[in-house]
Amino acid sequence: MEPILKVEHMEKYYGSRGSVTKAVDDISFEVRAGEFVGIMGASGSGKTTLLNCLSTIDAVTAGHIYLEERDITCLKSGQLSAFRRRKLGFIFQDFNLLDTLTAYENIALALTIVRTPASEIDVRVRQVAKELEIGDILEKYPYEISGGQKQRVACARAIVTKPTLILADEPTGALDSKSSRMLLESLETLNKNLLATILMVTHDAFTASYCRRILFLRDGKIFNEIVRGDNTRKQFFSRIIEVQTLLGGDNSNVL
Amino acid sequence: MFFKLVFKNVTKSMRDYTIYFLTLLFGVCLFYMFNSIDAQTSLLKLSEDRRDLSQTLIRTMDYISVFISVVLGFLVVYANGFLMKRRKHELGVYMVLGMPKSKIPILITLETFLIGMVSLAAGLVLGVFASQGMSVVTARLFEADMTSFRFIFSQSAFRKTLLYFGIIFLVVILFNVLSVSRVKLISLLNAGRKNQKFHIRRLWVSVLVFLLSVACLAAAYRMVIKSGLSSSTPWFTASIVLGCAGTLLFFLSLSGLLLRAVQSNRKLYFRNLNMFVLRQFHSKINTTFVSVSVICLMLFFTISALSVGIGVSGSLSADLKETTPFDASLEYFYHAYDADKQIRSLAQQLKNDGIDLDRYAERCGQVTCYVLTNGKENNIGIGSLMCKDDAGQLPEEQMDAMPLTVISLSDCNRLLSLQGKPPVSLGKSQYAVFCNYQKLMPLYNRFLRRGGSFSYGGKTPVPARDTILEEALLDMSTKSNSGTLIVPDSFLRLPGVEIESEILNIQYRQDVSDAEFLQVLDHVYTKEARARHAVSRPYDYYNTKVGLYRRASGNAAIGSYLTLYVGLVFLIAAAAVLALQQLSEASDNTERYGLLRRLGAEDTMVNHALFLQIALYFLLPLLLAVVHSAVGIHVATSELNLSGLDVRQSSFITAIIILVVYGAYFLATYFGSKNMIRQKEIYRR
Repeated sequence: MEPILKVEHMEKYYGSRGSVTKAVDDISFEVRAGEFVGIMGASGSGKTTLLNCLSTIDAVTAGHIYLEERDITCLKSGQLSAFRRRKLGFIFQDFNLLDTLTAYENIALALTIVRTPASEIDVRVRQVAKELEIGDILEKYPYEISGGQKQRVACARAIVTKPTLILADEPTGALDSKSSRMLLESLETLNKNLLATILMVTHDAFTASYCRRILFLRDGKIFNEIVRGDNTRKQFFSRIIEVQTLLGGDNSNVL
Repeated sequence: MFFKLVFKNVTKSMRDYTIYFLTLLFGVCLFYMFNSIDAQTSLLKLSEDRRDLSQTLIRTMDYISVFISVVLGFLVVYANGFLMKRRKHELGVYMVLGMPKSKIPILITLETFLIGMVSLAAGLVLGVFASQGMSVVTARLFEADMTSFRFIFSQSAFRKTLLYFGIIFLVVILFNVLSVSRVKLISLLNAGRKNQKFHIRRLWVSVLVFLLSVACLAAAYRMVIKSGLSSSTPWFTASIVLGCAGTLLFFLSLSGLLLRAVQSNRKLYFRNLNMFVLRQFHSKINTTFVSVSVICLMLFFTISALSVGIGVSGSLSADLKETTPFDASLEYFYHAYDADKQIRSLAQQLKNDGIDLDRYAERCGQVTCYVLTNGKENNIGIGSLMCKDDAGQLPEEQMDAMPLTVISLSDCNRLLSLQGKPPVSLGKSQYAVFCNYQKLMPLYNRFLRRGGSFSYGGKTPVPARDTILEEALLDMSTKSNSGTLIVPDSFLRLPGVEIESEILNIQYRQDVSDAEFLQVLDHVYTKEARARHAVSRPYDYYNTKVGLYRRASGNAAIGSYLTLYVGLVFLIAAAAVLALQQLSEASDNTERYGLLRRLGAEDTMVNHALFLQIALYFLLPLLLAVVHSAVGIHVATSELNLSGLDVRQSSFITAIIILVVYGAYFLATYFGSKNMIRQKEIYRR
């Protein structure tokens, strides 16, 4: 299958002459349609910078990012927001739901931003809500529902516009383990049933174990890559821990 | 380092809270401008009565300024509270970094002091320059020529501004220190976070409350249109209470109703960010509906005061033409100690004192007024010329006991011929009535139509005509002849008829001016001469046509000056409160707007939503205020009954003032909010 996301020699430097921090240092990888990819790494490894660049919130210093063969590093600022709303869906760590809107309206908001006809909105919101099992809380406000439910509403908001790529930034960061599991199972369902392509950033091995493939970042570089293949989730989890041990061990040698 | 921090904070605050400073600036500027009237008028060559008028204005301004400073004080304290709320996190950081808790109040005091000094200085400079322009208007108001331009600086206004605003800032410092020194560090640091719940009322509750508010307003409008502005009836008070309640309920229910109404039209609701904007509006209105209502009422006051106030200065009482049929009127009241209650000729007495009326008057005529007593020193009241059951309709209680003035037919006809009007004829046992007091006229007319009679001294005269004559006995400022009985001369020879006063009405000769005549009177009857009892005036007071006209226009001018002052301050206060509320909201909502951007909403879309949200807040109170004002102005103009009162022109001027001031605040709020959202976005990157 064709890769829908292609990152080529991407670099992102912060600071000016004299003291340059290489947050992302010459990274290249591909994501194919329908993949569920995880990006892991410790704090400061460059995960968030990478995600910000992918989501066009931040600009790269060098290199190219192609989404459906379009180079998004060359987009003008006017095109950027158009690109963002058509091609990308976001899931944030702190849900980022609008507290003034009901769950239904939060999901519908993403559709109104892409100017979906009003007649279509209801069908699509209810469809995605059914998929994520939040049909019965649609009329509630964010403060009335649990964290897990909030995050699933956020998922629904991300998927409802049928984006090419869903970017999830530590989606389980603010959830307890039970809610985390439910959310990740939802993401898996989205990935399998609706063939959504998901790129998830996390530092939690359990969360990462739901992915099909994991890229490990360290100091702005890809350190390792593992594929789940036919492994059960538990086996995959053990492998992730192994890599993390390696990463940690190596770290102490570096220091 | 400490002072450097103070300076840095102040300059940063100046940039971030432009509206706060502009409001302070305008407040100080207006305060100085209107209080510098004494200096403005002192340089003008004013006539005697204008001089008196300017003194009245200056005195009134003193009182009003106290009220205004209280309003401005509240505004500054409120605005400052908003500023402090925004800075709580910053103060928390200072404390975490190790600034002793005792130093923070000092920091705040110094900052407030500095801010106060800067805005006071800037406001005073602006005020001094603006008052130069205002002095031109003042000169026109007092009909004085601005012979030459001179730079005016009012020391008293300067001192007063310093004093009043000094007190205001002192109060603000006190507030700040108290609020800072009491608060706990954790709540300072967490000040940015808040947990707000949104109570959505059911649709039918909103609809019910809305209908109730409309009913309240409709009832209030009806009452005030029917009863007018007289505060003596309970209807006026009731209409004010109902109007306020209706306004409150209106804003309480409006957002919910608006939300539901638009929600029912899915196409509109899901278009662009309409959904977001309406929700934003709705989420805040629950906490802000009181202030929005107050703002609406303030705007209502401003609009109607300005429209009527400016209009009044250009017009004169329409009544004045009818109430001043003579060039001059003198009246003398007989006193209890006037032993001989015989008719005195005022003209003859003036002649004795060296004033030959023939030299000044083309024609003149004296009228003698009597009262009817029924032996026990009890006067016959005006009620005896009214139907019994009408007593309840009198504008004031026990008004029917007011003594009825009586004049003879020959005096009456002299009075009429002096005005060039046809004479009245009465049969032997007939009477007629003069009255021009609006509220009593229908009562007399009903009595006359029924052929009502009264008995006195064994006589029971009947009406000669079935309507009253709308006549005044002398020059007055208003239509206040509450009833004069005209009877055949013989009637007055009955026992118990007592002489009350003498009125001399004069029509000047062509070549005599009002000032000339009054000068002669003043020359003869000087204050010193009267104090020495060298002369005694044959009259108690005089009214002249010219004098009454001038007084009326002067009062109108003072009125319009004061309404302009109070109206402008109210307008600025209302707009500033709205603006500050919106700005504080925009900073609270930065994350919401930021999220919209992250979800891919274009800048134009986000800005449009922000614009719509702020416009809703600014427009809705204004719209209701305009409706209120339309009713208020309608009632006020019909009540004042002024000729040449063109409310259209003054309303147009008011609209421009509102548009400029309110519009400026609106734009400043919009661009300020936009910047706040943008800053955060850049910071994020």
